[in-house]
Amino acid sequence: MEKMSVEQLKAVKEQTDLEVNLLQDSLNNIRTATTRLDLASAALHDLSLRPQGKKMLVPLTASLYVPGTLDDANKVLVDIGTGYFVEKTMVEGKDYCERKIHLLKSNYDQLLELASKKKTVADEAGAVLQAKLKQLAPQT
Amino acid sequence: MASPAAVRELQRDLENKANDLSKIQKDIAKNHQVRKKYTIQLGENELVLKELELLKEDANVYKLIGPVLVKQDLAEANANVRKRIEYISAELKRLDAIVQDLEEKQNSKREAVLKVQQRMQALQAGKAKA
Repeated sequence: MEKMSVEQLKAVKEQTDLEVNLLQDSLNNIRTATTRLDLASAALHDLSLRPQGKKMLVPLTASLYVPGTLDDANKVLVDIGTGYFVEKTMVEGKDYCERKIHLLKSNYDQLLELASKKKTVADEAGAVLQAKLKQLAPQT
Repeated sequence: MASPAAVRELQRDLENKANDLSKIQKDIAKNHQVRKKYTIQLGENELVLKELELLKEDANVYKLIGPVLVKQDLAEANANVRKRIEYISAELKRLDAIVQDLEEKQNSKREAVLKVQQRMQALQAGKAKA
């Protein structure tokens, strides 16, 4: 990097900074998704503890709840994506949540590594740029 | 001797080529966006396929069509998702070919613009000397 001109260094730093920001966004998205899955898993666990026939309030809209009774808590519908839902048992449902959480965690770790590497490159480019600018300044 | 008309003509040529270049670059950017969308869809569909393959023969599969959950046959769901994956992969390949072609055009336009710029510079230098 030492051999590049000030212009090139600026371009490299800007490009890498952009990439780091994109990676940070992705990391945030994964964290949000993992939190949602954790909530789903907790809700499932809670549901499995409830007895059949238990009275409950069913949300029809965000502000309208209707009284109902819990039917079979052993069957759950899982959203697997692209509009497909699968009926699973409580155990399978919990397993699904666990699997997804593991997948997301490993993606998160991979991305984190990539983001740190890019950040190092961006910081290095910034440092070399500063050094070069300082070199040029005292001459004027 | 360089006439102002020749310089003007070169400038017009430069403008035209520069406009063409920026249009090609916009097309490349659009291509990238569509490609991103398709890649995301492909990933999601592959996840769905994996889940479907883990199911037992008699498991119930439902598809959300508008506000309605419709019961679907597992084999049919598998076939649908597979077909979708094939379609998306074909689209991605097509986009790949297009973007390669666009990048070649971009490079040759860049060279053409550079050449016109060089000729203009030579002309103007010639004018200055005379």
